[in-house]
Amino acid sequence: MNPASTESLLSHAWFGLIGLMLVLYVITDGFDLGVSILTLFRPKESERNLMIQSIGHVWDANETWLVALGGALFGAFPSAYAMILSDLYVPIMVLIASMIMRGAAIEFRHAATDSKPVWDRIFGVGSLLTAICQGVILGKILTGLVPGFLHLGFVVVTAIGVVSGYALLGATWLVKKTTGSLEQTARRYSITAVFTTVTAAIIVSAGTLVISPVGVSRWDQHGVLSILIGFAVLAALAVCYILYSVHMGSEHGPFAGSAILFIASFAGLAISLFPYIVPGQLTVASAASDSSTLTFMLFGIGIVFPIMIGYNLYQYHLFRGKVVPVHH
Amino acid sequence: MPVEALHLARGQFAMTAIFHILWPILTISLSAFLLVVETLWVRTNEVVWYRHARFWSKLLVLNFAVGVVSGIPMEFQFGTNWGAFSNYTGEFFGNILGFEGAMAFMLEAGFVGIMMLGWERVPKGVHLFATSMVALGSTLSAFWIMVANSWMQTPAGVEVVNGKLVVTDYAKAIFSPDMAWGVSHMWFAALETGLVVIAGISAYNLLRRRNPEFFVRSFKVALVLLAFIAPVQIWLGDSSGVDVFATQPAKGAAIEGHWQTNAPGTGASWSLLAWPDKARQTNDWSLEIPGLLSVLGTHSLHGQVKGLADIPVVDQPPMLPLLYYAFRVMAGIGFLFMVLAFWTVFAMRKARGRLDALLSQRKLLLAWVLAIPLPYIAVECGWIVREVGRQPWVVYGLLRTDQAASNISATAITGSMIMFATFYTILITSFFVFARRWLRKGPDLTLLPPAEPTARNASHASIEY
Repeated sequence: MNPASTESLLSHAWFGLIGLMLVLYVITDGFDLGVSILTLFRPKESERNLMIQSIGHVWDANETWLVALGGALFGAFPSAYAMILSDLYVPIMVLIASMIMRGAAIEFRHAATDSKPVWDRIFGVGSLLTAICQGVILGKILTGLVPGFLHLGFVVVTAIGVVSGYALLGATWLVKKTTGSLEQTARRYSITAVFTTVTAAIIVSAGTLVISPVGVSRWDQHGVLSILIGFAVLAALAVCYILYSVHMGSEHGPFAGSAILFIASFAGLAISLFPYIVPGQLTVASAASDSSTLTFMLFGIGIVFPIMIGYNLYQYHLFRGKVVPVHH
Repeated sequence: MPVEALHLARGQFAMTAIFHILWPILTISLSAFLLVVETLWVRTNEVVWYRHARFWSKLLVLNFAVGVVSGIPMEFQFGTNWGAFSNYTGEFFGNILGFEGAMAFMLEAGFVGIMMLGWERVPKGVHLFATSMVALGSTLSAFWIMVANSWMQTPAGVEVVNGKLVVTDYAKAIFSPDMAWGVSHMWFAALETGLVVIAGISAYNLLRRRNPEFFVRSFKVALVLLAFIAPVQIWLGDSSGVDVFATQPAKGAAIEGHWQTNAPGTGASWSLLAWPDKARQTNDWSLEIPGLLSVLGTHSLHGQVKGLADIPVVDQPPMLPLLYYAFRVMAGIGFLFMVLAFWTVFAMRKARGRLDALLSQRKLLLAWVLAIPLPYIAVECGWIVREVGRQPWVVYGLLRTDQAASNISATAITGSMIMFATFYTILITSFFVFARRWLRKGPDLTLLPPAEPTARNASHASIEY
């Protein structure tokens, strides 16, 4: 293999690996951010306690996928890392601020007595803000970091889409983990969230076609449109499955369906974006590090990756089942 | 980019780094200590060790939380505010940070849930494993971060290709000249921090006669470890110093207020106290001990120590008095810990295991209580010496700080700085409020270890803290 094709293979492998880490982040931190956002709608502290208990053991590891992915981006595509973070300074800083809020609040609330409702509010707001910022960042990347009124509208929709998508993941997670009236409430939230998420997703897809530098040119490419239609069909089926399983009282079906919906949407996005890492600005090839770095990183992180998945799954397995209220 | 924006970016990094480092140093050592007490519990079955594990892990939860939330801004700040640095060094530096995130940060996060919430759900051995993974994860974080930082001090294994650094030799880049000293000195500093805090908190309870039989255990464990760690740290510090004089002469000279390179056949003198003046390129005054700097800096009588006068002013670090005195404060505290540890071990041997004899050593116990803030002061001083002393370079000899920043408006940076200052003030205040509550509540001496879980009861046990 000549150096150019090795480099190309490695950079594509890293695009895929970072994409995989992003999917893992979005689904896992997505559900715990979603649960946290939904706590804002539950005035009863006992209900919030149960909701937070359902994520208490895994929220930190879930959030850490973002740290792992940020580091991987820094090493594999340093110019993309620098461009995205510098050009999106304000949304990134607000994101950091909101992550500080939710991370501190979820731990401090356990030690708090009178101030617990205050920490719960900070927790909910911080989580909501985190989702909004991620949506803004997604929108800005899709529109190639270009300013403008139409682009602003697009970004608003992506923000709503992310918030509602996380709320869907969170609600279906609660269907899995809670019982009784809270579970029924979660089922109702799931239905609402499905509709808002799908609406946002359709607008975003249309918008990507019209506004994004990706646009028609990518979708016109040979074979791309048929693959995208395939994923769209999968997404539609997932939506139907979510609605069906929520209605039929299934415990695990709704969350599984939501995860598939996310994966299908993601895959569609990644395919639309490729070969750009920042549409219109930076391609995978131009942003990638040298083969030496990509290879070394592949060894280091590639070997650790299945181990990471392994112990993450173990932590989930250990805390499986419905949450039981704690009596002190 | 405008100068004031550069100053703001530097100020923000300094502020966020100074705040962040306070927390991992305790997490690293406290999780290692928890590993020790939990191992003692599993090995000896003495319930007092179980109660120690449950008691001290409550402090770890609070500390770990602030460490995580203040650590995230560090990873992303290289991209937000130091884009040029990220572009230039990303192929190595970004690589290493990626390793830290995936191998270390994730390892801790992946097991902290079991460690904090899984007491009832897993057998003793599995929980001990979880604790060991949290301890390993936090130490691995320190390792990778120091690999990256050491490379910034003594870059190796890279060459400039098309305006950025590419890695030509991974082993040389990771095992850069400073790495062995940077990693070990920092790790020991973290261990000292936790052990001094544990000794101090235990001493506080002993002084107040609050559960003395309980706290004498943690006091002894901490002291036995400190008696070894404190002197080794002095040696590590000395070796780091020799390395600095060899690899970063400007930093070494600045730390010691040393201006005139010593002529061959003579030894450089060491100033005990001085006031360096960068504008006048000399010390305003100094109290000197002849020949001692060559001995300290090169471990030889007439070893050459380059003076600042022989280094161009543009390559000299700023804030010389800060560097000079921060170093002395750090080293002084390091010596104090060694003296205090030896004095205490001596006193404990004299007490011959009698608790009342130890409790009567009130001055000694008070000394440990007052020592609690000292490791934090030492660590901050050390980092100030390390990072300010590296200026004007961000990668020593390769990239200057003023070439490394992103083009961000002063307004935006001011905004984010205000956000950090506000949030961090709230965080540290809340931490102290909750930590004080934890301290006053004390250990739960009625706590019974969980029954060994069976497959049947494992998945339905409630989540306990």
